[in-house]
Amino acid sequence: MGLGLRWYHFALWAGFILVMALMPEFVSKGTLRTMIFANFLAIFAISWDVLSGRTGYISFGHPFLIGIGAYTTAILTKRFDVPVEYAIPAAIAMTMVGGTIMFLPALRIKGSYFALVSLAFMELIYQLVQVIRPDLTGGTRGMSGIVTLTRGAANGYYLSFSLMIIVALSMWLLMRTRLGTALSAIAMNEESVKGSGLSPTKLKLFAFMTSAFVAGLGGAFYVHYLGSIAPRALFDINFVFTIIVATLIGGASTIVGPMFGAFFLTFLLEYLRPFLPGAERYLIYGAIALLLYMYQPKGLYHIFMSQLDRFKKSGDDD
Amino acid sequence: MTKPLSIKNLVKNFGGLTATDDISFDLNEGQSTGLIGPNGAGKTTIFSQIMGEYRQTSGTIELYGTEISKLSTPARIRLGVSRTYQVPRPFAEFTVLENVRVGLMPDSIWKMITESPNVDREIELALSVGFSESDLRRTPDELSMGDLRKLEMARTMATNPRIMLLDEVFAGLTVGEIDQIAKLIQKMRSENMTFLIVSHDLKALEPLVDDAIAINYGKVIAQGSFASVISDKAVRTSYLGT
Ligand SMILES: Nc1ncnc2c1ncn2[C@@H]1O[C@H](COP(=O)(O)OP(=O)(O)O)[C@@H](O)[C@H]1O
Ligand SMILES: [Mg+2]
Repeated sequence: MGLGLRWYHFALWAGFILVMALMPEFVSKGTLRTMIFANFLAIFAISWDVLSGRTGYISFGHPFLIGIGAYTTAILTKRFDVPVEYAIPAAIAMTMVGGTIMFLPALRIKGSYFALVSLAFMELIYQLVQVIRPDLTGGTRGMSGIVTLTRGAANGYYLSFSLMIIVALSMWLLMRTRLGTALSAIAMNEESVKGSGLSPTKLKLFAFMTSAFVAGLGGAFYVHYLGSIAPRALFDINFVFTIIVATLIGGASTIVGPMFGAFFLTFLLEYLRPFLPGAERYLIYGAIALLLYMYQPKGLYHIFMSQLDRFKKSGDDD
Repeated sequence: MTKPLSIKNLVKNFGGLTATDDISFDLNEGQSTGLIGPNGAGKTTIFSQIMGEYRQTSGTIELYGTEISKLSTPARIRLGVSRTYQVPRPFAEFTVLENVRVGLMPDSIWKMITESPNVDREIELALSVGFSESDLRRTPDELSMGDLRKLEMARTMATNPRIMLLDEVFAGLTVGEIDQIAKLIQKMRSENMTFLIVSHDLKALEPLVDDAIAINYGKVIAQGSFASVISDKAVRTSYLGT
């Protein structure tokens, strides 16, 4: 498949997984809970990266997708007693339908216009869950008492980390194939993609569906971790910015970058909490993101990779 | 015998402007045709209609006997036609090899994922248009205009065409580069490629074509052997007049 895998790729992934698997032995429950949020944020950031980081179709409405996944499984399990093993796949399928709907405007519009339309999708679903069948969605107040899948911080951590690492690894591998190259080409010059004999429509649809798959998976498991849904927090522009900033800090279009960006940002917000309990925190992380962006616009990933390059040059010379 | 390309009564209006005004011509298999005319005559617009980037107002375009007016650009490319752009449009963040890679990809997501890039073929194509080994990992911002034109050629050849439409291939190239591209075109001609070549450099164009079509204001004004077309009175005044 031409993935270009090298020994250090295996070493880095294995080392990362090992360290993360041992985490519950060493850190407090509080820290573990923070890491659970980081895992979910990583999944959402990767979902965003597959679509927006790659193809340049910036989504300001990712909670639209995440919300479809979360609400579908919440409603199915709580209102209709559907077992989670059916409800979650159904939620993912519904999110992919949502991804297809979000794709439709991308047939005609791009750039900032698309970003605005995607934002409208989020607003739309936020209004819809409040007015359409509030007996099902819980209306403005949302839902609680949704079945949870794990007990205790350690189990929640293991489940969320397993999901995250499966998503990260599979998306990382997928984007290393020629498909990843073709999706990046869309961001650079869609006309030239066509002129090279490839259908941008097909590629974009695939990107929206894959992004939706990941968002739906993350949203569904997230709601079964929290046990509740609060529409105001979910369909919130701050949530959108958290996803985007995590991706950009980490390094858009790299999959691994957004994963680390999510951890970086989650812990940053956590450490700032005692000093800045309110929404001012978002100002601080905006500033930090900006500073980093000025230093290395391609994010932490590229800072790390240039260090690794130096290490490799002094290490092996193949 | 079906012609590689057959254009009949092609018309393209841009608002009040008729950029293509009832143009008809055929290309024969393995034949190379020069398409000449002053700036704004409508050469590029013909290419754009053949590729499906612009929809014609009326008239028909057939590729190997298939009427293609309703086909998408990638579908036309699959039928064997491909073009270069007058203003090169590379993928700005990709290396030369990655640019060629996009041209080589099949339009199938499944194959994109499961099949490896054919790096040998990428290198072969890039070298054949005159890149050196050290250029292969360069990005477009490090390339000269001449290099960008070569990249256009390589990406176009990568789609495996039987008909190539070359738009101002020699513009901005040095004498050495023109020579290199000319040799490449000659080699492909000997392998039976069908060409339609737009160029302002008539001297460079002459040895590369079997005959020529001259247009002005969207109309064919002369057609036939290269020598007869460039000595045509209407062609001469159209070049001097603008
Ligand atoms: N997209 C467009 N919209 C409006 N007019 C156009 C467009 N493209 C080309 N034209 C006009 O059509 C005419 C032919 O242009 P073109 O085909 O680019 O000429 P050439 O390639 O022979 O220099 C010109 O008058 C040009 O201004
Ligand atoms: Mg032109």
